[in-house]
Parts: sequence; structure tokens; C-alpha cells
Amino acid sequence: MNDGFGWKNPVLGRELLDRLRSPKTVLTILAIAVGTCLLVQLRWPSDSRLDVVSQSSMEVFRPLAYVLTLAVMFLVPAFPATSLVNERRKGTLALLLNSPLRPWQIYVGKWLSNVILAMIMISASMPALSACYAMGGITFRSHIGPLLLVLLAMAIQYSAVGLWVSVRSHSTDASLRMTYVAVLVLSVLSVGPLAIVGNLSGGAGWIANACTALSPLSALQEITQSQSQVTDLGLSRGWLDFLVATSLVTVLFGTLTMLKLDPILMDRVKPIGKVTPKGTAYSVLRRIAFLIDPNQRKAGIPLWINPVMVKEFRTRKFGRLHWLLRIVACCIIVSLALTVVSATGTVSWGVQRIAAAMVLLQVGMLMLLGPSLGASLIAGEVESGGWQILRTTPIGPIRILTGKLWSVVWTMLILLLATLPGYIVMGYIVPVMVGQVNNVLISLLFVALFVVSTSACVSGFARSAAVATITSYTILIAFFAGTLMIWLARGKPFGPIFVERALMLNPAAAALAEIQAPGFENYQLTPWSWWVSGTISVLCLLVLAIRTWLLSRPD
Amino acid sequence: MNSSSEPVVETQNLTKRYGDFVALDGLSIHVHRGEILGFIGPNGAGKTTTIKILVGLSRPTSGSARIAGVDCSADGKRIKRLVGYMPDKFGSYDNMRVREYLDFFGAVFGIPLSKRKRRVEEVLDITDATYMQDKFVESLSHGMQQRVGIARTLLHDPEVLILDEPANGLDPKARIEMREILLRLADQGKTLIVTSHILPELARICSTVAIVTGGKLRAFGKLDDVMKSICPRRSYEIQVSDAADFAAAERSISELLLTDEPIEASQAERLFRFPTARSEADLSDILKRLIMGGLPITQFREVASDLEDAFLTIAQTKVPS
Repeated sequence: MNDGFGWKNPVLGRELLDRLRSPKTVLTILAIAVGTCLLVQLRWPSDSRLDVVSQSSMEVFRPLAYVLTLAVMFLVPAFPATSLVNERRKGTLALLLNSPLRPWQIYVGKWLSNVILAMIMISASMPALSACYAMGGITFRSHIGPLLLVLLAMAIQYSAVGLWVSVRSHSTDASLRMTYVAVLVLSVLSVGPLAIVGNLSGGAGWIANACTALSPLSALQEITQSQSQVTDLGLSRGWLDFLVATSLVTVLFGTLTMLKLDPILMDRVKPIGKVTPKGTAYSVLRRIAFLIDPNQRKAGIPLWINPVMVKEFRTRKFGRLHWLLRIVACCIIVSLALTVVSATGTVSWGVQRIAAAMVLLQVGMLMLLGPSLGASLIAGEVESGGWQILRTTPIGPIRILTGKLWSVVWTMLILLLATLPGYIVMGYIVPVMVGQVNNVLISLLFVALFVVSTSACVSGFARSAAVATITSYTILIAFFAGTLMIWLARGKPFGPIFVERALMLNPAAAALAEIQAPGFENYQLTPWSWWVSGTISVLCLLVLAIRTWLLSRPD
Repeated sequence: MNSSSEPVVETQNLTKRYGDFVALDGLSIHVHRGEILGFIGPNGAGKTTTIKILVGLSRPTSGSARIAGVDCSADGKRIKRLVGYMPDKFGSYDNMRVREYLDFFGAVFGIPLSKRKRRVEEVLDITDATYMQDKFVESLSHGMQQRVGIARTLLHDPEVLILDEPANGLDPKARIEMREILLRLADQGKTLIVTSHILPELARICSTVAIVTGGKLRAFGKLDDVMKSICPRRSYEIQVSDAADFAAAERSISELLLTDEPIEASQAERLFRFPTARSEADLSDILKRLIMGGLPITQFREVASDLEDAFLTIAQTKVPS
């Protein structure tokens, strides 16, 4: 190995040492090892009958494969997403770029360290995978080997994507957010085109197939021999296709990142704040493009409005009003399109499945925006130094907190309203669903409340917005994905009562149950789910209020 | 209204302890209307602790701090209206223009919209920052941000301005502009408390200085008085035109001085420097005898001691227990 790729690459050595020394890394590896072993233990067959078709071993192997995929999806991108942006903010990237190290060496050092660490994390699941192998019916060549290759490919791909987002971002939390969006697009939304257009021939079909190859879901289905909703839709692609697609994506994003890694990166002009002149054709064009032109002079804040709320809307990095309105416009179009294709019979999914897709779209939006906005409420203010200044003004802690919370609550409400046209059309097509839609909307309100209150509560205890954002996402994903994992393991080992109780913790599951989404038809989660999520939210808000009061008191 | 004889800012035996650590130990100072107090001390001396108590961000362990007669820890709400505080960290918000930034803080202070617009224009004018009103705050240079910071502190027309390191990181031109702004504010009757590490800068604007080290007040008073009390021995310089017999000249001067008046000699500069506490008459006599002894003297002058010397003198002195 030469200096660029080998252990002599100083960036690789430093990154690996730094991370291996971190207690967080050790804990993560331990958690994967213990978690996967526990999962195998829970799914281990107690039936003494002979299993001639290897059904039992597959029932153990399948959830294990999905859990490992989720672990790679959530754990691997976090580090590359913050890596280059942190170096730039601290000024160490300028030092690296001014050293004899070439940009590709810096890139390879960072990328490879992340891939090696991902390999270590994946290898922590070897005891669990060996147990599956020992049960029989699971072979290394057809199951374990391909699974490990897919997981490694995911780690390689997400590292490349994370570094690319990181090199383009200005702040750590923005980089984290965008990386997870990119991972969501590559892993889940990439199957969308094929799901919508079906198995078409020609260019459109090729594009839809190519997009599907980007997702590990189809590869996993092949490896785990799953028969699910997704395979029913004809989305199953070979895992070899996934490896090819992943390699291409990795090369593409790697090249883009290396091209961007240049000393010129540090030579960015700060936006000075150009004002759009009113009444010109240019201003009209900007108004159409932005809906609310961010370059217009803002009016003064009237005293009857909470100034902190207005400030939040105007200044936050993510979720500024003009972007929010664009997202809402997209949601309206998507929800109407889904309802119309359902009504016109373009796809034979049925209203329930379309409604489930809309619920998932909304939950996805709330989960993407909510933690990011909520987590920066207090932590972002403390980090920027604004909190100390606000403490020296006559505005009280409750007004600061309510202003901040309202800015997020309004955003969430706007997002919830975005799919309302779709539901209205749905109610018009199937009038008996009106009651269900009402309950779905209430459940989604609780999802929003839960997401905002939890992340805002985390924000009160964090010193930086990035830490608060990561913590919030971790908690909420554990909550939402964790309960859904229990749902996935319904029947074995979890009984229906246990699954129902677990799902009661998840207001999104209540929405899916209300809309009779496939797999959720037999659960009655409301109103108990509302009570549970409402109580947790109120407790979080109470803790946040006390924390804010404490933070605003003299030291 | 406070008369000029009544102090606007007053602390009495102000003490702040964090566990066993004494951050501030019985600090007593007073500042009158229109005065600029230079608050000097090394890092960790207790400057920021004092400031935090004065602006209501911290509570003293004992002692009291009052601004315009209002107790800083008991009546935080009134203090917030009496004081304009600029911390060393600017506290900017992204995507916010200067005018919007000031408008936001105007709204926070409850200034009605109709009056706020005019007030924002006034403070921008006072700080010579009108031209940057449409620029994004985060895109401003450090010097520009400091000016916006001062404009923000002026919004609610406070009696006292407390500025933590306002000249920190500024280039010479920006420092001069900052100095002019502060002097202008003092002329307008504002009372200023300014901390800075750039002591020559403070010496040019301060009427009063307080020097703290290790949480204790080491010197306090009018700048000239403090200088005299800290540096009673003035420094004198003698320059000769001919360095040919420099050693002989050094001998002649040494013979005339006392043993506790050590001479620093620089042959390259043809210069002798010595500290002395002698009277003007004594010094005149020494000069006369040196000239009569044939020493080719071109200059005999007092070296003005500055705030830096005073600070160093105090910093090198052991803190009394």
C-alpha cells in the first residue's frame, strides 16, 4: 500500500484512532453485538418438530438482516456527515489543504476510516449470524455472504454520500439533516418510481428499474426470500444489481467530493444581503420562485406578535418560510396525485394503501422537519450566544419558549394541512372514510406534538444544535422504528397483545391502524395511543419549561 | 434623576464564590454619570463575573451591586432596562439583516413599532452603521459587528452601557472609530464600563480605571491618580551625542545616582534610562553637574509611564491575602 491508501495516510490513522478511542464507538459496537444476539435469542425456535424447509432459520435470519440494515442506515452516515464540515468550521481543513497531502488522500483517509469502522460494527453481528448458520438452511454463499456484501456496500455508499454533503454544507446540523435525507432517498424513495409506474418497458421502465437498484430493500428481499408488499409490486432486484449501482454512486460522489476539496473551498464570499427592488419584473419572478421572497425587506415586528416566533421564522437555517411553502406545495401535489391515481384506477392499490402512503409521507415529513426544528430551539440559541443576550432583555423565559415552540408548531400544522386536499378528495370518493380520516389527522397531530416536544426537550439540555439534532433523531427513530420492529416480529416472538401495547407508544402506528393500512387492520390503538403520546409530550414540555426557566435565571 | 455627585454604578464588597473558588473578593467601585470606567485585569481576574452581576446574569454570594439606585440581583427586570450589555460574543442570527436584527431587539424591549423605526435609524446613525442596514449580520466584519452590537445596546436608551472587550480583534482604523463612538456616548451622558486587554486603547478614553487581579480590586480611581499611586518612581532618559566614551559617561551618571536607581544603558541608542523618586530640584542639580562634567547631553527627559506599566506593576505584585 502506498502513502495515500495505506496506514501511512495520516488522515486515516488519526480518524481511526480518534474514533476507536471514543467510548461512543465502543458502546455502539457492544450495542450491535448484544442487540443482534438478543434478537436471535428471542426468535430462536422452541418447536421440537423437524424443519425441512429451513423456515425457522429464515425467521431468525430475516429480522436480523433488517435490523443490521437499519443499523447501517442510521449509524454509518452520522460520522462522514459531520467530518468535513467540522474540520472546516474549526479551521483544520485549511491546514490539511495547505499541507503536502493531496485532496484525494484527505478524502480517502476519511472515507476509508469510516468504511473500516462500519466493517468493525458489522462484524459485531458475527455471533448472531453464526447462530443462524448453525441452525442450518442458511448458507454463507446464498445468505450470509451476500448480506455482508450488501451491508458493506451500503457503508461504502453512505460514507461517500455523507462526505459529499459534508463538503458542501455550512453547518453540522444542516449536513446531518441533508445526509439522512439523501440516505432516505437512496434507500427508500428510490423504489417509488417502480412502485408507481409498475413494470413498464422502454426508457421509463429502465429508469425506474435503475432507481430501484439503488435501494438495499430489493437486494435484502432477494437474500432473505421475503414475500412482502414490496415484492408484490414487482420491486425485487438482484443484490448484484445493488452492488453495481452502489459502486457507481460511490465513484460519482467520491469524485464530486474530491473536486470540491480545494483551497478555493475556503474562499467563499459571504452573502452580503442583496435586497430585491420592489415592483420590478425581477421581484415578481423571485416572488413566483420563492413564494415569499427572502430578499425582500421585512416589515417591523408588531408588539402583539411574539418577536421570538417571528425571529425563528426569519432566521432558522432549516424550515424558513419560503422553503416550507415549497415543501407544502409539493406535498399537496403528491397527495392529490396519489388520490387521483387511486380514484381513476391507474394503480390497483385500493384507497387504504394510498391513504397509508399519504400517512407515511406525512410522518416522514414530520420526522424529517420536526426534530431538526425542535432540537435547535434552545441549543441553537445557546450555541450562537443569542441566549445570553436574550437573558439581558426584559422578555421572560416563558415568552421566549412559547415564541420558539409556536414557530415549530405552526410549521408542523402547515405540513399537516399540506395533505388535507388529498384526504378531502378521498373522503369525497369514499364517504365512509371521513371518520377514519378525522382519526388519522388527530393521530398525526399527536405525531407532530410528540416529535416537537421530545426534540425541544432534548434541546434544553444540549450545548450545540448538532448534538441536540443527533440525539433527537436517535431517540425518535428508536421510538418509532423500535415499535415498528416489534410489529415486524409479530407472531414470533411477540404476541398480539404485546405488539398492540408497543404500537400504542407510536402515534404514527395509530394513524396507520386508523386508515386500515396493510398489517395494521387488527389493531385498535386509539384513543389510548393519543393518551400515551399526549402524556409523554406534556411531560417533555413540562421538563423543557422548567429547564428554560433554570437557564434564564442568574447563575 | 441622579446628580453627577451620586454614583450611577456602585458595588459594595461584591463577592462571588463558586464552591471554594473565590471569583470576586469584596469588590467596591463606583462610577458617576458620563464617566468611562476602564475595567482591567488578566484572564480570570473577575471582570466578567463583575459584569455578569451588574447585568443580572449572576447573583453575588455577598455584597451588593446597584445601578441608578436599583439592586442588580433583586430587581432584574428594571436592571435590564437600565443597562445595555454587549458581551464579548456577538450573538448573531443567520439570515437576518442589520435593520431586522435591531428591529427584533427593539420588539423584545417593547418599543412600539411606530417609534422603533425611528429609534433604529437613530442608533444606526450614532454608531455610523446606517450604510450596513441591509447587510446580513453574519456577513459583517468583526468591526462592523461590534458597531451593530453597540447599536443594539443603545436601542432602549439605557443609562449605563457595559461593553465586554469592544476593541478585541479590531484593526487600527476600527479601533479609532470605536473609540470615537464611546467618547461620543460619554459626552451624551451615558455611563460606560469597558473591559479591554488593549490598555493603551483604554487609557485614551477612560476617565476612571479599576484594576482587578485574582478577584481583588488592586487599584481604583481617576486614571492619573492611579498612575501616580502605582508608579511613584518616574523613569528618566539621558541621551548623549557621542558614544565614544560611553563607559565613562555611564560611570559619571552612576556616581550621581543612588544605589536603588539602576541604570539601563543602550550604547546603540546612546541612551541611559533610570527610575527615580527624586524631586525636580534634585534632578535639575544632577543635570547641571553632568553638563559641567563635560558629558555631551542632547536630551534629558521624563518617560511617560502608561497604563500597561501600571497594570504590569500590579500584576507582578503578589495579591495580598
